[in-house]
Amino acid sequence: MKKAASHDEKHLGGAQSWTRWYLLVIGWLAVLIILFYLFTKYFS
Amino acid sequence: MSTLDWLVLLITLAGIVSYGVLRGRGQQSMEGYFLSNKSLPWYIILLSIMGTQASAITFLSAPGQAYTDGMRFVQYYFGLPLAMVVLCVTFVPIFHRLKVYTAYEFLEQRFDLKTRTFTSFLFLLQRGLSTGISIYAPSIILSSLLGWNIYWTNIFMGGLLIIYTVSGGTKAVAYTQKQQFFIIFAGMFLAGYMLVKLLPGDVSLGDALHISGKLGRLNVIVTDFNWQDKYNIWSGLIGGFFLALSYFGTDQSQVGRYLAARSVAQSRIGLLMNGMVKVPMQFLIMLIGALLLVFYQFYEAPVLFNKAQLQQVYASPYKQELQQVQQHYDQLAERKKAEVQQMTDALHRGNQSDIKQAQQILLSSQQQSEDLRRQAQKIIRKADPAADTNDTNYIFLYFVLNNLPKGLIGLLIAVIFLAAWGSIAAALNSLSSTTIVDFYQRLGRKKASDIHYLKVSRWCTLFWGVFSILVAQFASKMGSLIEAVNILGSLFYGTILGIFLVAFYFKRITGTPAFWAALLAEAGVIIVYLLQIVSFLWLNVIGCGLVILLAHMIQPFQKKIIPLPADHFTD
Repeated sequence: MKKAASHDEKHLGGAQSWTRWYLLVIGWLAVLIILFYLFTKYFS
Repeated sequence: MSTLDWLVLLITLAGIVSYGVLRGRGQQSMEGYFLSNKSLPWYIILLSIMGTQASAITFLSAPGQAYTDGMRFVQYYFGLPLAMVVLCVTFVPIFHRLKVYTAYEFLEQRFDLKTRTFTSFLFLLQRGLSTGISIYAPSIILSSLLGWNIYWTNIFMGGLLIIYTVSGGTKAVAYTQKQQFFIIFAGMFLAGYMLVKLLPGDVSLGDALHISGKLGRLNVIVTDFNWQDKYNIWSGLIGGFFLALSYFGTDQSQVGRYLAARSVAQSRIGLLMNGMVKVPMQFLIMLIGALLLVFYQFYEAPVLFNKAQLQQVYASPYKQELQQVQQHYDQLAERKKAEVQQMTDALHRGNQSDIKQAQQILLSSQQQSEDLRRQAQKIIRKADPAADTNDTNYIFLYFVLNNLPKGLIGLLIAVIFLAAWGSIAAALNSLSSTTIVDFYQRLGRKKASDIHYLKVSRWCTLFWGVFSILVAQFASKMGSLIEAVNILGSLFYGTILGIFLVAFYFKRITGTPAFWAALLAEAGVIIVYLLQIVSFLWLNVIGCGLVILLAHMIQPFQKKIIPLPADHFTD
C-alpha cells in the first residue's frame, strides 16, 4: 500500500503537474460550454 | 411485469448484494470499515463519488425535466468541475494529512469541540431525513406505476442494501457502486437506443433532434440573467459551484468516499475525473428526455403520467371533468401527429420557410397540450387538495413500462433500485461514521478496542438503515415532506461550507466567532428563504458569504486572538 502511495506522489504529486490537471479540467468545461452553446443555436 | 422481467430484476439485485458481501469481507478495524484501510484506486473513487451523487431520482427526474422544461437543467452542473479543482487544492490534502475519519473532525483541530459538534449535528439531521426520502421517492413512483404496495417497496428499496453496507462498510459500498454503475449505464444506453429505434421509420436521430430543438427542448445554454430563474449559465456556474463545493467538501457521504483513496493523488484524480465526466453524462441522460417529447408527438401519451393519481380522480365526482380534458387531449394528439409529420417532411426537403411554418403550428399545439395538462392538474387538486400533481418523475418510467420489450423492463427497474442503493449505502455509511467518530468516540467511550468500535459501527449502520426505512414509511403519509427535506439541504449547505472556508482560508478567525457567525448566518438564510427573494441555489452562496462576513465582524470582540502558524493547515 505504501509503495503504491509513494509511486503516485512521485509521478503525480508535483505542484506543476497538478496545475496542468486543473487547467485541463477548466479548459474541458470551457470547451463543453462552447459546444453546448453551438448545439443550442444549431437546433433552435 | 412479466416473469422474465422479475427474473432479471431479482437476479441483478441478488447478484449485487452477494457481490457486496463478498468484497466487503475481512473487516477487522474501524479504519478498515470506514476508510477501507485507505486502499482504493482512483477509478473506484470516481465511480463511488458518482454513484453516491446519482440517486434513483437523478435517472427518473432528469429525463422528465428535459421533457417538460428542456435541457437547461444541465447548467446546474457547470459549477461542479470548478468545485473539484478547489477541493483538490485545499480540502483533500488537508483531510489526508490530518488523517481524519470525518470532515467534521478537522473542525475541532482547527476551531473547537462545539463547532465540530454543531456541524456534525447539522449533517446528521439533514442526511438522516433525506436518506429516508431517497428510499421513499423512487418507491412511490414504482408502487404507483406498477401497483406495488408502498410499504413493502420501501422495505426492499432500503432493506437489501443494509446487508452488505453493515457487513462490509466503505469497501463493500465502493465496489458495489462500481458494478451498479455499469448496469445503470447499460440500462440507460439500451433505453435511449430503443427510444430512437421506436420512432417512425422515416424519422432519423438527426430529425428527432431538430424537432426537439424546434419545440424548445434543446436549450442547454441560457444566457439571460434572472435572480428567480433556477437554471441559467450564471446560477449554474456560481450557485452550482458553491453547492458542489459544500456537497463534495463538507458532506460526509462524499468526503467518506475520497478519504478511502490510497493517496492524496488518487483522491485528486478521482475527483478531477468526476469534474470531467459529470456534465457530459448529465447531458446524455437529459437528451433521452428531450427525445422522449418527440416520441410522444408521434405516439399517444396520457394527459398525466401518474396513473394512480388519474385512477383516483376517475373514482371521484370529478370523473367527467377529467374525461373531457382527456378527450380534448386525445384529439389534439391526433392533430399533432399530422403536424409533426409535416415538420419531418419539411426537414427532409430542407426548405427553411416550410420548417419555420411547421414549427409555429407545432409550437402552438404543444402550448395547447401543456394547457390541457395544467387543467388536468387542477382537477386532481380539486379532488385531493394535498396531491402532488408534478408528474415529471413518472414520464421516463411510463415510457419504459409501456414501450420496452420484456426483460429490458426488468433491467430498467433494477437500474432504479441500484441507483437508489448507491447513494443510500454511502449515506448510511457516512451517518454511521459521523455518529461513531464525532459523537460516540469523542463524547462517549473514548478508549476501547478496535473490535469494539467495529462492532458498534456495524450496529450503528443497521440503526440508520432501519431509521431511514421508518422515515420512508412515515413520508408516505406526508406528500410535501420530499420538498421540505430538499429545502432543508439547501438551507444548511451554505452555512456548513462557510465554516469550512473560514477554517481553511482565514487563519485569524477562532472557534467562538466562527460558531456564532454560523448560528447567525443560518438565521439569515432562513429569513431570506422565508421572504422568497431568490431561488434556492443562491441560498448556498448567501449562507457561505454570511458566515465569512460575520466571523470577521465578531472576531475583534474576542479577547484573545491566538494566530495559528502560517503553514499549519496549508498544503
